[in-house]
Amino acid sequence: MKSAINIKNITKTYPGVLANSDVSINVYSGHIHAIVGENGAGKSTLMKMLYGMVKPDSGSIEIFENKANISSPKEAINLGIGMVHQHFMLAKNLTVLENIILGIDKPFLKNIKLAKYRSEIQKVMNLYSLNIDLDQYVDELSVGEKQRVEIIKVLYRGAKILILDEPTAVLVPQEVDELFKNLRDLKDNGVTVLFISHKLDEVLEIADEISVMRSGQMIDTVLNSNVSKIQLAEMMIGKSLPVPPPRATSTSEVAILKVENLKSQDEDGRNIFTDISFEVNKSEILGIAGVEGNGQKEVVEAIIGIQSIDSGKITFMDQDIKNKGTRERLESGISFIPEDRQLQAMIMDMNLTNNVIIGRQNIEKYKSNLGTMKTKNAVKESEKVISAFEVKTPGTSTLATALSGGNQQKFVVGRELEDDPSLLIASQPTRGIDIGAQALIWEKLRKSRDEGLSVLLISADLEELIGLSDRIIVFYQGKLVKELDAKNVTPEDLGGYMTGLKK
Amino acid sequence: MKIFRSLSKRYIIFTPILLVIVVAQVETYSQLTTSGTFGAAIRLSIPILLAGLGGLYSEKTGVVNIGLEGMMIMGTWFGAWGGFTFGAWQGVFIGMLGGALFGLIHAIATVSFQVDHIVSGVAINILAAGVARFLNVIAYQDVAFASSTASPRIQGDIGKFTMPFLAGGKIGERETSNFIGSIEDLDIILISDFAGLLLGFLSNISYLTLFALALVPVSILVLWFTPLGLQMRSVGEYPAGSESLGVNVYLMKYIGVTISGALSGLAGSYLVVAGTGTYLEGQTGGRGFIGLASMLFGNYKPFGILMGSGLFGFADALQLRSPQAVHGLLIIISIFLLVLTFKSFFEKKYKASFASFIFSAAFLIWFLNSTSIPNQFVYFTPHITTLIVLSFANQRIKLPEKIGVPYKKGEIN
Repeated sequence: MKSAINIKNITKTYPGVLANSDVSINVYSGHIHAIVGENGAGKSTLMKMLYGMVKPDSGSIEIFENKANISSPKEAINLGIGMVHQHFMLAKNLTVLENIILGIDKPFLKNIKLAKYRSEIQKVMNLYSLNIDLDQYVDELSVGEKQRVEIIKVLYRGAKILILDEPTAVLVPQEVDELFKNLRDLKDNGVTVLFISHKLDEVLEIADEISVMRSGQMIDTVLNSNVSKIQLAEMMIGKSLPVPPPRATSTSEVAILKVENLKSQDEDGRNIFTDISFEVNKSEILGIAGVEGNGQKEVVEAIIGIQSIDSGKITFMDQDIKNKGTRERLESGISFIPEDRQLQAMIMDMNLTNNVIIGRQNIEKYKSNLGTMKTKNAVKESEKVISAFEVKTPGTSTLATALSGGNQQKFVVGRELEDDPSLLIASQPTRGIDIGAQALIWEKLRKSRDEGLSVLLISADLEELIGLSDRIIVFYQGKLVKELDAKNVTPEDLGGYMTGLKK
Repeated sequence: MKIFRSLSKRYIIFTPILLVIVVAQVETYSQLTTSGTFGAAIRLSIPILLAGLGGLYSEKTGVVNIGLEGMMIMGTWFGAWGGFTFGAWQGVFIGMLGGALFGLIHAIATVSFQVDHIVSGVAINILAAGVARFLNVIAYQDVAFASSTASPRIQGDIGKFTMPFLAGGKIGERETSNFIGSIEDLDIILISDFAGLLLGFLSNISYLTLFALALVPVSILVLWFTPLGLQMRSVGEYPAGSESLGVNVYLMKYIGVTISGALSGLAGSYLVVAGTGTYLEGQTGGRGFIGLASMLFGNYKPFGILMGSGLFGFADALQLRSPQAVHGLLIIISIFLLVLTFKSFFEKKYKASFASFIFSAAFLIWFLNSTSIPNQFVYFTPHITTLIVLSFANQRIKLPEKIGVPYKKGEIN
């Protein structure tokens, strides 16, 4: 069989980190080859080297059995390598067409031959049965469509090798099916696909061969038919998998949070959300499912008072909190893990101690009689969080930005659970972090719930949502469309409700 | 009532023009629509237009450029020096180079060294003022009619153009008819007012003005219909993505910011070469910043910038030529705000509607209770007009996505 990519003994070190150590991999032409591994296992670094964004320290790369020295994305493109990044490389305020043809012409002052490009792109789209309106602004596209634009973009540039970095992380199950269908079409047309993921089910569904990476090393490459999911997972994390214990306690019937007929409109009079009513009981995890932008984020923000509401009632521990400020709500026993830890949860240029105090500066523990901060208590507190949540950091005076994503998130979760809140609102608590940190956060959430904490959980990771929640409510277009028992629901079901296909 | 609802964003901009024409029918305010006023308005708006276009090239590539003012100062000094040493057209070119040089400095600081764009821009403004004075002292040590704050007069001039037949321009030595001028003199409602506007454009207009006006369609072509323009715009939207497609992000930003400097320099040399004929300290008078405002007013579109700078130039021309006519502006603003009141009301933006109404009433009361505007205030007219229009028109400005964000090569997101 002809080899498309042959990477031999490649090594890459960043200051203090060995990102790739002596990695070799062979990808056959016309196959779908998956690389799996935890976050930080070195998959992305390997791909960046293949795509010319990062230069390897040593080792060699062969493309279609010719030695290649790839020092820029442009050269990679010329060699027939196209990459679809996890974060889409699309300019929102440009049209699909403009995004696709960007960079093809040298930057000269001549007319762009739009009509010519349009028909050529149409040909590519017909060949691989991909479809999209070329004149739409990228801003108006759905996530799946944006991804399709990315794929068309690299195919149009003549890519024979397609690298997809975590392509399913942002998609709902139906969109994943669509993507896989497209990938199979590509394969039938002779395109080699390199697929990076940490979702083993998907990898097993689509890939011909699977390579496993762990802490910068290539562990093994196996045929899909010869391997099971459990074997793969064990290769990936290097030890046998922990099994989540079934729930031992039961939820109580006491409602901690009660939301009634919540409604909010934006400036133009469009509904952001409307008719939202639900309850969170004591010692219960209530999951909220919804494709991003369907109002779930705003509802949660309304509960802690960031988002204004037009009508409705919010009752927390038998008290109406609608007219209270955000700080009062937080101090009355609500904790909040925002979805973006770097933008909302932490101040990245402050140290961990200060990040513990933020938002709690009025609590007695942190405030002296003179109105100054009691830093000592905060140091103690952050030390407690660091040890309880196994946060890897040199100390409490480290800047938040110096921590890895997983450790930042563990610190945030620890901080929010520290004050024994009555209600925890957790928005995407494990987004983009490694399996180890994820498992720890899950375990802590379960434990706190068993001890009586109520949790409102929003997650785009449907397996997490189903695994953790007791009940799940689904948001679609600003409305609460379905309530489900988490025990007997599949991701496919959920995806159906989330996209409005099922009612 | 349906009228107000159908007043889409696009056409509301023409209401003030209509109002101006209506108010100009009153004798006291007739200066509002004469060809003289329009001619002056065009002359005064060109530096702002050029600065605005300059800002556009820079900001479309993602670099905030509040150094426009400083680059314009360089344009005035170098324009005057070039004009004094070599001649008018050479002066224009050298003024552009002077501005471009400072644009390049801004690019080096913000692109290569990732200095905060605002910090660099402020530095450029301060630096330019100092450099201009320094150069002026050195360059004209032994020259008559020069001081530390003014240069001697430039040689020659740019030349003016008047359209033959329509506006009475000459062909060779032969006089031709002034068709539009005669229509203006007839004093027919609406028609004569439009004739005034047209005549302002067609008679006695500097070649440099025509060149500047031509830059509007040229900019549209360059930025939206060439590969260079596409790459420049993409860099302001998503540099990391552009880089991954082989776009030279740094180069694009350098090009954008340097063009920005060159256009600001052109704006400065216009002030000298087509205006005073000498360099004077403080001559730019904040026009660089107004240019930035006109760019926002125009929502990052060349034609919009033309409208914005035209508005400022019109108000400026009015205060220069006829302080009484400025009084007429009060009622125009009042009625315009009233239109906005209804428009906001039907769009269910009650707060905005209420605010417009209050201001509308305030201007009406002022208009009714006075016969003229205090002199001090008259000078301020262009600025306040720009401010008012900007504050009510800024609803949907579409900024480039990654504007003001320093970009480091190889960095994803």
